[in-house]
Amino acid sequence: MANKKFLLPDLGEGLPDATIVEWFVKVGDTVRLDDNLVSMETAKAVVEVPSPVSGKVLKLAGGPGDVIVTGTMLAEFEIDPSMPQRAEGQDTGHHHGGAAAHETHGGAGTDAPSDNGHQVIASDEGGTISDAGTPAPKGEAGEKRDDAGTVVGAMQSSDAVRSEAAVAVGGVKAMPAVRALSRKLGVDIARVRATGPDGVVTMDDVKRAAADGSAKPGAAPASRAVTQQVQDTPAANAQRTPMSATGRPMRTQPPSVQASGQPEQLKGVRRNMARVMADAHAKVVPTTLVDDADLHAWIGKQDITARLIRSIVAACKAVPALNAWFDGDKLVRTMHPHVDIGIAVDTDDGLFVPALRNADMLDANGVRGAIQRLRAQVEDRSIPASELSGYTISLSNFGMFAGRYATPVVVPPTVAIIGAGKLMHDVVAVMGGIEVHRRMPISLTFDHRAATGGEAARFLKALLDDLARPN
Amino acid sequence: MTIAAHFDIEYLQYLGPDGKLVADLPKGFDPKSLLPLFKQMLFVRVFDTKSIALQRTGKLGTYAACLGHEATHVGIGSSMRPEDVFAPSYREYGAQFMRGVQPREVLMYWGGDERGNDFQIPRNDYPWCVPISTQCLMAAGAALAFKLRKEPRIAVACCGDGGSSKTDFYAAVNSAGAYKLPLVLCVINNGWAISVPRSAQTGAETLAQKGIAGGLHCLQVDGNDLIAVLEAMRRAGERARNGEGGSVIEFMTYRLHDHTTADDARRYRGEDEVKAGWTREPMLRLRTFLTAKKLWDEAQEKAWLEECGKLVDVEINAYLESKVQPVEAMFDYLYADPPPDLLAQRAAAIALEKRNG
Amino acid sequence: MAEKTAANAAPAAITLIEAITQALAYEMRNDKSVVVLGEDVGVNGGVFRATAGLSATFGPERVLDTPLDETTIAGLTVGMASQGMKPVAEAQFDGFMYPMVDFIVCHAARMRYRTRGRLSCPMVLRVPWGGGIRAPEHHSEANESIFTNVPGLRVVMPSSPARAYGMLLAAIREPDPVIFFEPKRIYRQYKEVVADDGEALPLDVCYVLRDGSDLTLVTWGAQVKETLEAADALAKEGISAEVIDVATLKPLDFATIAESVSKTGRCVIVHEAAKTAGFGAEIAARLAEESMYDLVAPVERVTGYDTHIPLFRLEMKFLPSVDKIVAAAKRAVAHS
Repeated sequence: MANKKFLLPDLGEGLPDATIVEWFVKVGDTVRLDDNLVSMETAKAVVEVPSPVSGKVLKLAGGPGDVIVTGTMLAEFEIDPSMPQRAEGQDTGHHHGGAAAHETHGGAGTDAPSDNGHQVIASDEGGTISDAGTPAPKGEAGEKRDDAGTVVGAMQSSDAVRSEAAVAVGGVKAMPAVRALSRKLGVDIARVRATGPDGVVTMDDVKRAAADGSAKPGAAPASRAVTQQVQDTPAANAQRTPMSATGRPMRTQPPSVQASGQPEQLKGVRRNMARVMADAHAKVVPTTLVDDADLHAWIGKQDITARLIRSIVAACKAVPALNAWFDGDKLVRTMHPHVDIGIAVDTDDGLFVPALRNADMLDANGVRGAIQRLRAQVEDRSIPASELSGYTISLSNFGMFAGRYATPVVVPPTVAIIGAGKLMHDVVAVMGGIEVHRRMPISLTFDHRAATGGEAARFLKALLDDLARPN
Repeated sequence: MTIAAHFDIEYLQYLGPDGKLVADLPKGFDPKSLLPLFKQMLFVRVFDTKSIALQRTGKLGTYAACLGHEATHVGIGSSMRPEDVFAPSYREYGAQFMRGVQPREVLMYWGGDERGNDFQIPRNDYPWCVPISTQCLMAAGAALAFKLRKEPRIAVACCGDGGSSKTDFYAAVNSAGAYKLPLVLCVINNGWAISVPRSAQTGAETLAQKGIAGGLHCLQVDGNDLIAVLEAMRRAGERARNGEGGSVIEFMTYRLHDHTTADDARRYRGEDEVKAGWTREPMLRLRTFLTAKKLWDEAQEKAWLEECGKLVDVEINAYLESKVQPVEAMFDYLYADPPPDLLAQRAAAIALEKRNG
Repeated sequence: MAEKTAANAAPAAITLIEAITQALAYEMRNDKSVVVLGEDVGVNGGVFRATAGLSATFGPERVLDTPLDETTIAGLTVGMASQGMKPVAEAQFDGFMYPMVDFIVCHAARMRYRTRGRLSCPMVLRVPWGGGIRAPEHHSEANESIFTNVPGLRVVMPSSPARAYGMLLAAIREPDPVIFFEPKRIYRQYKEVVADDGEALPLDVCYVLRDGSDLTLVTWGAQVKETLEAADALAKEGISAEVIDVATLKPLDFATIAESVSKTGRCVIVHEAAKTAGFGAEIAARLAEESMYDLVAPVERVTGYDTHIPLFRLEMKFLPSVDKIVAAAKRAVAHS
């Protein structure tokens, strides 16, 4: 004496519900398989629904005029096993209705017609499609409904409303279409002045930037209307104090509360540096010699960087072994006839090493001009990728800030790097007396796979000798 | 004026809508022979009704009903020999049942299972054909094979009034004429191609005359008159088997249901037209005729309909109880000799299925 | 001043299919050379209702019900386009396009080229595309890669109501032929507010739908839905996936994909069509050519199998799924 609940199937491919027009049975009646059970009205037609079983009618879901949602109970029967029945079979899935759609993403279209899946999506880590959660107007029984027309198949259909959130890519919030347009118009979206809510770049912002040329790739960054990125929470607003009110040491805030102190996926230049340095460390056998260049004999004010460059060139000419490329896998060394010096330039985004090409051919003015040009190109990020590699030897002038001696990193395929430390006035012993000389600490790290200590020492001597010359 | 060519299109009708004869029966025609065919038409209607009900209760996918076409379909199918080849569109179940296709195979097909196309009995017939009228040209190819091999077999293809607009139909007509093929093209004109009425399909007065362009024999027939259908098919079959070439027969009928269970014909045609269609339907007139000849009565019909119900339910249950094919069925039957890349994908699909339980 | 919506009403939330109708209506109002043609597009409004209401508004000389023949539709469309009209033809289903290939490849794609610019073919062919609606045979084809290999065509596939509206306008205004694939599975998936303002979207860009840093998911069509769901699932496990909707397959905006991969180092391509020589192969080849030094993991493709999409009992086993995408993403992320 099994009971069967009969759920309203989709009567026309994608219809969310149907209205009862007329029952052909009443509770207590005996009904046969395929006998007409009820006529239902959909947006498309009035349709007779046959009985799926033979048996006794136990329950009917409503009366004429009532709206039944697809997939909910229409009638309940007590099956009579002595009468013809239909095999269960599987559902072909040709009924679904808007209500029953399983949408795990965004949660749209849940079972109850009154809830269209309001879903708030936190967009700190980038946008996802969020439901605007506008409920479909209710009480439309008998009125014209959406006709989910299709001549074949079964299509999911939902009244849920969504809007695409502005995606934050590279720190810039913009809708996908706006981002796409900026590409198309050749506008660097990172440099567009954003006027949308919450710092979002709008379509008009991009068009304006294209029209007035204010956001060409490589131009100076536009000032932003919104700079504050940190989420406003009570804890972040409160003043940090080392001691609590009861005199105990305060715990530091958990990382999730503030913008800094959070794990940050490395991108771009810093990411590259991490990879390159690890690679160098794995391959190179670094050895460092340190010494001081005595600048006491210098006549007049001179450009220190230009002198440094010249001294490196002189040393390369004296000992070409350190102006070379070394391939550790193939054990091949290539000594270069020219000198291209990779000059370490420090920026907020990380370390850049542009190449000063043909340093051996430039005079002091030429060097000065080249260095200025390189610095400018790094600063506005217009330096082409090709100019960030292919140098034959490197220079790191960290002494502008602090530090005397260092063990700078030799990056393959080069075999040597010169580190210039902070200019000092040192007390030196001279011929039995004491003088104060201006000196520059010089560190030379070389790859001992490719060069000998003797070569390095001779190189260093040549470099120091040139630096010591009056001009 | 010299006439280069002219043509007439003969129209055949013997049994009028009211069940009375409007012309003499064809020579040697025995009305008793209509009885088993009438019973078959009733069986088809019971099957069709139950299939629609299956769809409405979520147990069958989209289904193309044949309501109103029973005389045309059963008449075509019963006029063929087992060794002939039949190329249906997707609605002619009545013809196919005469050929040995089983109702459960129809249900498997609309139920989303390719095994429905693997007919157990008419092994050389074409499966249902969705790309409209391509079955006509394929049937022409079959007819060409029969001719080249000198086999006494014919090919019969069905399409609709919409189908007669298709390039493939014209190509079939043309090749049947160029090669004098043993081909019968049945244009089943039910008035509608989904929502497009017959009048919008062509400027030609009849669809039958499209065969004139290929040099074929052409005939227009009241498709709801089983006697006319049988006579037309007899003539066309005889011609084809005698080496006299192909025919186009236009069967005039009416689509009493929607294009498919997902269509809603109320959008584009009026209720009055459908009501009028019911007055001309094939079952009504044949029942009247046979009853008047004392070959049929209400009690027989009641008993037969109940029997049909049982037979169809057996088929339905067989379909409902069938198990879904294993996942590797997607890959088998693609090639006689599957290449290694495909076998690798097959293995991956099986493994994935195992992992997902 | 272009004629906007008659009522000047606030923009409504509409489905993708309604966005198609809205775009067609807008352009037909503002450009008399635009006509719509296809089977059942007139009185019936199209079997998917894409052209609902257009016949009543614009009349039978601008919305033509054609005889039942795809060759006819394709041929008439090319003929009209090459004489200064802007026909927007509809192929009723992807599986019925094949007779049209003759006219598309031999004529539409070559008109400008063969005549050195004297004649051209500004046509749009709209096609309900792809599987997943439990349809009968031949109604579920993902056949875009047949057309992406044909020079002279643009191949476009929107995945949202807003993109459908903007890209269809652009397609109609495009002076060269556009194959406009409409993923039918998501025709009514959800509604979006789309202003009827006549603003076209560019037809040569990809859309970044979601920001991420660990891998790049590239897809198009109805699979955008599953890909975004996969990104959600991955996020729960701490994997941050960037999602790109290619949208315009031809011409391909590879720069957007390259930029993303230079950030993430990993790429998973998702498409319904069979794997071999599917459009994902083109993207993978470009990645190998131009992004080799950015990749830290092999490119993954999550696709249909190299067999015909089965009838609906097995259909969902054929198509890419959220699980398959997530598994591929995890394989990629295992490399560093």
